[in-house]
Amino acid sequence: MEPRPPAFLSVSLDPSPAIEAYKRDVDRTLLRENLRLTTTERIRKMIAALRFAETVRHSRVKASPT
Amino acid sequence: MLTHARVEFIVIGGFAATAHGSAHITVDLDIVYRRTDANVDRLARALEPLSPYLRGAPPGLPFHLDPDTIHRGLNFTLVTQAGDLDLMGEATGGGTYEALLPYSELRDVAGLECWFVNLQTLIRLKRAAGRPKDLERIAELEALRQEEP
Repeated sequence: MEPRPPAFLSVSLDPSPAIEAYKRDVDRTLLRENLRLTTTERIRKMIAALRFAETVRHSRVKASPT
Repeated sequence: MLTHARVEFIVIGGFAATAHGSAHITVDLDIVYRRTDANVDRLARALEPLSPYLRGAPPGLPFHLDPDTIHRGLNFTLVTQAGDLDLMGEATGGGTYEALLPYSELRDVAGLECWFVNLQTLIRLKRAAGRPKDLERIAELEALRQEEP
């Protein structure tokens, strides 16, 4: 008996209203910029952004206008 | 580390999205590993120096990610000394290593070759998971697909 193909192969890629709504807000300039990079550059860029986000998350308020 | 240890795995999830050009930041690495005896042995040995532990579990549990533990389970959400790691024997939608490999790409990452699930299959896996929180990510991946040359 032929093995059944995995379920993910039958997942439709037809447009979905919810996904299309989110797609309108996608910043394609960021995607185009990333598509100019190699895989290694893309991953390094993401890790650098992650490290910066961690730094900001652990930062303390030094001063406040009020 | 996994590549050096010749572990057979395919990157899915956020890191795969990054490899394809996603602008989202991801914290954890999701991989689908091959569940042969030899590969499970290699996987357990490769991860041992990183002290893998079940994410969210109280400290002090007698958890040891050895080949026996991996064979008795399937998917493991782990914290390691190198960061969060999701080890999947099968991604939602029947995504075992063998099922995903024909739909994966070998990419060079800092001089090492790693398998990444291709963009179309990554979208299918996220759609198969059916999580509302993934809708925004799926939208970005589909936009990426449209932008690819």
